[in-house]
Amino acid sequence: MWRDRGLAPMLLATLVAAVAFVWAAPFVWTVVAAFRPDGAGSVGMASLVPDLNPTLSNFRNALDSGSFGLYYFNTALVVSGVLAVQCVTISLAGYAFARLTFPGRDVLFYAFLLQLMLVPPALIVPNLRTIVDLGLYDSLAGAMAPYFASAFGTFLMRQTFLAIPRDFEEAASMDGAPWWAIVWYVLLPMARPGLVAFAIVSVTAHWNEFLWPLMVINDPSNHTLTIGLAAFTRGAEGGKEWGVLAAGTLLVVAPLALAFVAFQRRFVDSFVFSGIKG
Amino acid sequence: MKSTRRWTMAAIALATGAGFAGEPLAQTKIDFFFPVPVEGKLAREMTRLVRVYNDSQKEVEVTAVYTGGYDDTKLKAQAAAKAGKPPAVVLMSANFNVDLKLSGDIMSLEPFLKAGGATREKFLGDFWPALHANATVDGELYGVPFHNSTPLLYYNVDHFKQAGLDPARPPQTWAELADAAKKLTKRDGDKIERYGFQMPGGYDYLGWLMSALSMSNGGRYFNQDFGGEVYYDSPSMLGAVRFVDDLIHKHKVMPPGVVEAGGVSTAFFAGNASMVLLSTGSLSFIRENMKAPYNVGFVPRNVRNAVPIGGASLVMFKGQSEASQQAGWKFITWLSSTETLGGWSRFTGYFAPRRSSYDTAEMKEFIARNPDAKVALDQLPFAQPWFSTYQTVAVRKALEDEVQAVMNGKKKPDAAVKDAQKKADELLRPFNDQTSLKLP
Repeated sequence: MWRDRGLAPMLLATLVAAVAFVWAAPFVWTVVAAFRPDGAGSVGMASLVPDLNPTLSNFRNALDSGSFGLYYFNTALVVSGVLAVQCVTISLAGYAFARLTFPGRDVLFYAFLLQLMLVPPALIVPNLRTIVDLGLYDSLAGAMAPYFASAFGTFLMRQTFLAIPRDFEEAASMDGAPWWAIVWYVLLPMARPGLVAFAIVSVTAHWNEFLWPLMVINDPSNHTLTIGLAAFTRGAEGGKEWGVLAAGTLLVVAPLALAFVAFQRRFVDSFVFSGIKG
Repeated sequence: MKSTRRWTMAAIALATGAGFAGEPLAQTKIDFFFPVPVEGKLAREMTRLVRVYNDSQKEVEVTAVYTGGYDDTKLKAQAAAKAGKPPAVVLMSANFNVDLKLSGDIMSLEPFLKAGGATREKFLGDFWPALHANATVDGELYGVPFHNSTPLLYYNVDHFKQAGLDPARPPQTWAELADAAKKLTKRDGDKIERYGFQMPGGYDYLGWLMSALSMSNGGRYFNQDFGGEVYYDSPSMLGAVRFVDDLIHKHKVMPPGVVEAGGVSTAFFAGNASMVLLSTGSLSFIRENMKAPYNVGFVPRNVRNAVPIGGASLVMFKGQSEASQQAGWKFITWLSSTETLGGWSRFTGYFAPRRSSYDTAEMKEFIARNPDAKVALDQLPFAQPWFSTYQTVAVRKALEDEVQAVMNGKKKPDAAVKDAQKKADELLRPFNDQTSLKLP
């Protein structure tokens, strides 16, 4: 039977399986290690084979080390707040760069893109000063504020709008629709895949962000997940409790991973549409 | 029980309030930034300590802010200060004080000593002599030591017995260390099943251990009195780097490449490494997680016994209100009391910086129960100050990058120390131009 199909597909399948295994190995290890007793190290610590006596004690230890319920809530708030504002700003800015004509538009657009070249740590002090001046220091709003505008999002929306033929807008404007109605009723519904693609990038980035929340937040009741996780990953002297570390990591990534599994089809479609391939 | 106490407190507050003619007691709120070395349990313990302090008095309310690793903490504290929100008290890596004083971030603690009628000598008198240098900058007190460590040799007792070594007598010299490591290394043809010796090679840890090795080789590593000089291109450092190179590439008793501290302790627990150099700050962690019997010994010497200290001190940032300064000092005084330091030491494995902590009954009992803590304590008289210069982190990395290249087999020790020195000198030049090379 396999003779008919030839050797090539078999080879290809093996190759794909091997690559998939290499990519999945760290995740598999994390899951296995999270349930392994003797979390600090044993002969089998590096093994991918699950332990025969799985334990939940690593999760218990991880959960004990901080108020994870609060961290989830804060992180969800930051991520959704940032995304909500971003959707407004990037759509409008993207529309302006794609459709309006005004002097210096292209220069402004490229200047906007230059932002992407800046490494975030260089902006910590200036951003922190602004946040203090605005009275947002040590608040979740302060953790969100610098991301309300996004160069990447604006770029993505501009490209998305450019790809939509002008005929639709012309038809609408002939019926007397003002510009905002055109954006809201005509362009945005057609640009949805672009927005979804951006939302994925934005949510993942802010869910995983560590440095800026650490800088702007003091009050433990405002801490986000990554800061909670750092309590057991940032050890200086001494050892690592691999089991607790793995369990904590799973707790942090779980919501994102579940969301990905649930909406996998739509995610993939969006990326294919917008031309961003992993 | 609890409500009775609250009532009593309220009654006392009322009585004292009446005494001050109804004047309300002003409470000062301050922030305390702390990093967590080792693991999450310490963050919980620190939060608990701060709660105990807040409940014990009414004038100061401290918010304990967990701030990541040592480097994150420095970054956050400095950024907050630049943005106009300096933290009152920070638990800062003990070797950052010179750097932070030069950048104008931290304040001298002398005024508080004076106000309390104490002299620096009297205040520091109770702290181990090795800690004085890192607590002071240019002769003034800038940091109060909180928890401290030195490197320590941990070894697997079963492996020693198997290899015919005396587990009661760890290697004292480099020659004995190399000899023991050869006997402990288990080979199966070309494959090495167990390494005789291992040490962390990651940033920060490596610089600290290289200073331990160069100091035990007679060197000083850096100029303890002046922040503009390091001694990388010196016989004592060259010997130390050659020794590491030999252990890896000539004797083949130490794994090549760079392994972080977490990997080294895991290898020790798993029995894949027989002797490891790790911090005394890991004592509790190793005691809790090591299944096989182990013991500890001094860091072996080539010329003399010497180890650098490590750990963290309490510092105060400039730019706060008078009330917040007073509140900060009050909190520091409580946090660095004999009892608090002793309790923290027993919980973490770090040694307590105050000698008087070891005179308490709890500590005597603890040491009797844990002889490994005694060895760490006995090594203290040989302790030296921790590396601290202008641009401490960058200057330290100048050496670490080169030694890592040696550990990876990409560079020879002689060239490595020369290049490390060159890079460090460049980094230190701006400071020297302003100080040692600024001539009339």
